[in-house]
Amino acid sequence: MDRKQIVLGVIGFDCHSVGNRILDYFFTEKGYKVHNLGVMVSQEEFIDAAQETGAGVIMVSSLYGHGEIDCEGLRDKCIERGLDDILLYVGGNLVVGKTPFKSVETKFLKMGYDRVFSPDTDLEVVNNLLIEDLKLG
Amino acid sequence: MKNTKQNFDEFMMERSDVLKAWSTGKDVILEEGLAYQKSLDDSRNFASTMKAASRRGDTLIQPRAGVALIDEHISLLKYLENEGGADLLPTTIDAYTRQNRYNEAQSGIEKSYSAGTSLLNGFPAVNHGIAGCRRVIESLKKPVQVRHGTPDARLLAEISLASGFTSFEGGGISYNIPYAKKVPLEKSIEYWKYVDRLVGYYEDNGVSINREPFGPLTGTLVPPFISIVIGIIEGILALRQGVKSITLGYGQGGNLVQDVSAIIALRELADEYFQSEGFTDYHLTTVFHQWMGGFPENEAKAFSVITWGATVGRLAGADKIIVKTPHEAMGIPTREANAQGLLASRQAISMLYEQKLPVGPTYRREIDLIKSEVNSVMNRVLELGAGDIDDGIVPAFKFGVIDVPFAPAVCNYGKLLPMRDNEGFIRVYNWGNTHVSEEIKELHRAKLELRAHSEGRNVCFQMVTDDIYAISKGKLVGRPR
Repeated sequence: MDRKQIVLGVIGFDCHSVGNRILDYFFTEKGYKVHNLGVMVSQEEFIDAAQETGAGVIMVSSLYGHGEIDCEGLRDKCIERGLDDILLYVGGNLVVGKTPFKSVETKFLKMGYDRVFSPDTDLEVVNNLLIEDLKLG
Repeated sequence: MKNTKQNFDEFMMERSDVLKAWSTGKDVILEEGLAYQKSLDDSRNFASTMKAASRRGDTLIQPRAGVALIDEHISLLKYLENEGGADLLPTTIDAYTRQNRYNEAQSGIEKSYSAGTSLLNGFPAVNHGIAGCRRVIESLKKPVQVRHGTPDARLLAEISLASGFTSFEGGGISYNIPYAKKVPLEKSIEYWKYVDRLVGYYEDNGVSINREPFGPLTGTLVPPFISIVIGIIEGILALRQGVKSITLGYGQGGNLVQDVSAIIALRELADEYFQSEGFTDYHLTTVFHQWMGGFPENEAKAFSVITWGATVGRLAGADKIIVKTPHEAMGIPTREANAQGLLASRQAISMLYEQKLPVGPTYRREIDLIKSEVNSVMNRVLELGAGDIDDGIVPAFKFGVIDVPFAPAVCNYGKLLPMRDNEGFIRVYNWGNTHVSEEIKELHRAKLELRAHSEGRNVCFQMVTDDIYAISKGKLVGRPR
């Protein structure tokens, strides 16, 4: 199974579409097969796509502030569906209001995400971490 | 399609279904809402406030704001009214309500109570119902507008207008294409005819309600002509249903000449098209949105983006400016940050009060270019609709004659690709099927080649990415690193 595949999408009822296009473009250029589910993606849709493709990582974006409600429980559902080893990356403006990034990161790590990114993250940094986490290097 | 004003009895039949979508709908009685609106002082009416401001030549300022719970929402708006000095107030609606997910909104309200902080990104007006919404209106002195992003806003309009809100943002195109994924365009257009018809009812009975199509669309490198075409079309659809007070919007692009030209072209073209449709009894104003794209995280830098927006909006002669905050890069602002955005904007606008921008030949050329782009797209939409603009909308989006860059809706063609030229004007690199002359395309291409040449690279997608992040990184044009 080719782990160098990404399931990408914006979770919940969020329709911020610009960053999603850029992530798609960036990771495609880097040689990944990107399965882009676009905006307004449910947890079930993320998991279905991950199962169908055998992707190594689910990349979840949330920009509109409801991230805390929308992202809860994704790890448990992955385990229920047999996706024990899948990487979960999450990034964006994940909570309502200006909050120190450290506390956002702690919150989402506790929810079972492997990496948490602030909105200003350089995509090269994400790519380097992904290579490490997927043991592609 | 209803190309003329909807018959009142048909409207009332549709209405009985609309009110059933959530339990709070049963409290809405049309005549009672009208009587409540009539009981409000004229100083709380959005339409008359806009009219008076445009007569005086003022530029009003308005923030965005909304939280989950009623008391917190009131205290937030009072703060923006008193400490921020907002001329006009908003009630920004949460994202669940925008997708008609009233169950999720209800759970967001409950979770917000127990968390002691708002977990929703706006005010769930439908769930709070008429009683809750009227408490908001009665706690404030300034007119309040509903600001959202709802493809089907029929119930939201019923509840908020009966509660004393006097302006309603959105439209069948501008609240579908940038805000939804799978809502068919013909559906959202019909839903918004209902909203406009409801406003028409209030107008027919002596209460003026302001309507504001959403100009900035995706807020990302949108060429002026696209925003103007959609604003004019939504304006015509609204006027046909009896709307009288209309505010057309435009999102700041970043280049002074292009932004000023866009506002001038917007106002002149809207009047031309409205009048050619036979409308004379309307009041048109304009709104300028401060930069809608990515912001710098550093608050001092963010203030610079905010005041530049206020400056350009004032110089362009906009009647209203929608103000950003120094927390924009991080998401939803605190009330203090929100008020700071207002105060910074007010200072710039006031200092320009006596000053006028001399609109010379450079501006005139840009105005003419925008007008010819708008006219050629409008002509094609009219052709597709066999002479009627309404019938042309759906095919125009299907074939890509109108194409909104970076939009999430699947009914958008999605081939048009914009980028900045060497002076920061937003130009079009890939036109998709947008309908403009070869001469115009050549002009855009030449400007973009000039930039690519000066950067020592070919015109490429990387330039678009660089442009999207440029302002948050301190520049207008995304030059190579």
